[in-house]
Amino acid sequence: MTVAATATCLEVRNVAMRFGGVVAVDDVSFDARGGEVLGVMGPNGAGKTTLFNVISGVQRPTSGTVALGGMRLTGRAVEDVAALGVTRTFQTPVMFWGLTVRESIEVALAAHLFGATYPPAPWRELLPCGVGAHRHRRGELALRERADAILERAGLAALAARPTESLAFGEERLLEMARALAVEPAVLLLDEPLSGLNPDEVEAVLASIRAARAGGVAVLLVEHAVGELLSVADRVVVLDHGRLIAEGAPVAVAADPVVVDAYIGDALD
Amino acid sequence: MIASLWQYVLAGVAVGAIYALVAAGFVLIYQVTGLINFAQGEFAMIGAMTAASLASGGMPILGAAAVAIVVAAVTGALCYLLAIRPARAASGVTLIFITLGLDVALRGFCLFVWGTNPLSLDAFTGGAAISIFGGVVPPQALWVLLADVLVFGALYLFFRHTYVGTAVRAAVANPSIASTFGIPLRTFAFWSFVAAAVIGGLGGVVIAPITGATYDMGLTLGLAGFVAAVLGGLDSLPGALVGGFVLGIVEKLAGGLLSTGWEQGIGFLILVLVLVVRPQGLLGRAVRRA
Repeated sequence: MTVAATATCLEVRNVAMRFGGVVAVDDVSFDARGGEVLGVMGPNGAGKTTLFNVISGVQRPTSGTVALGGMRLTGRAVEDVAALGVTRTFQTPVMFWGLTVRESIEVALAAHLFGATYPPAPWRELLPCGVGAHRHRRGELALRERADAILERAGLAALAARPTESLAFGEERLLEMARALAVEPAVLLLDEPLSGLNPDEVEAVLASIRAARAGGVAVLLVEHAVGELLSVADRVVVLDHGRLIAEGAPVAVAADPVVVDAYIGDALD
Repeated sequence: MIASLWQYVLAGVAVGAIYALVAAGFVLIYQVTGLINFAQGEFAMIGAMTAASLASGGMPILGAAAVAIVVAAVTGALCYLLAIRPARAASGVTLIFITLGLDVALRGFCLFVWGTNPLSLDAFTGGAAISIFGGVVPPQALWVLLADVLVFGALYLFFRHTYVGTAVRAAVANPSIASTFGIPLRTFAFWSFVAAAVIGGLGGVVIAPITGATYDMGLTLGLAGFVAAVLGGLDSLPGALVGGFVLGIVEKLAGGLLSTGWEQGIGFLILVLVLVVRPQGLLGRAVRRA
């Protein structure tokens, strides 16, 4: 069951994450609503990626909870959190090596579309490989058509048959973004999606973010390119040493002396 | 001399076909879970013993074969559910020791059930040995080769032409990222054990008419299958096929040209050489995961 995007409210409550004596995230609380871009700012080591790990179920917080539409995510397995509609990208794009660009999208689509019936027992998959089995073939074709449409929107149609190992860095970023959006997430966690991109690619990713917002997705955006982040974000939260030190509209947060002192001053320098 | 060499090669192909099936089980489980299952040979033993036992009780051979494969599949499922899954958070070394324990436990259980006496199973089809360019192979060898074609063909279709197969490849490439897309790794791990057990069981059934069935045959088959898998590349199903045939042929050539002792030992010499010279095997990747 995926939480409907329009009803999304990601609730992060008193989340703390400690690794021995190191406090990576310290009593952080905020909400993210469907149809908004929430910028997550802070210097390196502020706890942004750890926070994403907690939200996506990769790490279980030391204390606190994360909920989506009133449904508790904390304690669920990563795949269960994903099935409920939380998807993410990574600081360094992560590809499924050995798969083509189109297959990378199809994999994500299939897991999303078939929901609780996924995966079917192997023989149900294998038997229709022979002659006949028109319904199965139609399903595969529909999957491929959707994947191709997604690649078209992402500007990757020409690369559909390319192995992912052969992609340039910027192409990997675009594919990772397209793959994340393919599953129609309720919450999209983007970890520095603009780093290493040329201006055209930056614009393409920002357009994808705006499109996701228009589609009702709650986008959480970690990005060190402060100008771009402030331009696309509806609200911003700022972390420093694991603590949430500011929250509000981008303009107000950017002018907050505490934020300027802790991060933006350095970032702009 | 040439005729003898050719005969060794044919015999090696027949044996190698079995090694390839066992190696396929190793590779399948390793690809999906990252685990080397040293109980893989026992799935073949259970298939062989069950089929031989049922057939000696009067069941038609094909029926006995089918039941034996189901028994092997259930064994594989139970191995995963009772021994591997509860310990999935353990280290890789611990899990390997668990599979070694499973190997001993399954062999001990079958010793208890069937005893030490070898069982026999009639060939699926009768007739004289088949002559191929002067060399001969038993008709049952063709069934073994047919099993290879079926298994590797099915695996190829599954991995290349089904979306779940593609998802398994994605999970193999990067399990942690695959799980963030809702790809159920634990379900895949379960089915990899079942599939490996089915393949092993099938291998045991088709080899039993040639070698007979004994409670301890799984140890030899498992070691040979492991060597074949490492030789071909632990992450490569085509490598399992190639590794199986190469090992089988080299074994028979060594046994025929040097001595029968070499037939038993050369596999381990190959294993050491591969690990030193080309650890990724003939067709494996140098770096397995992204």
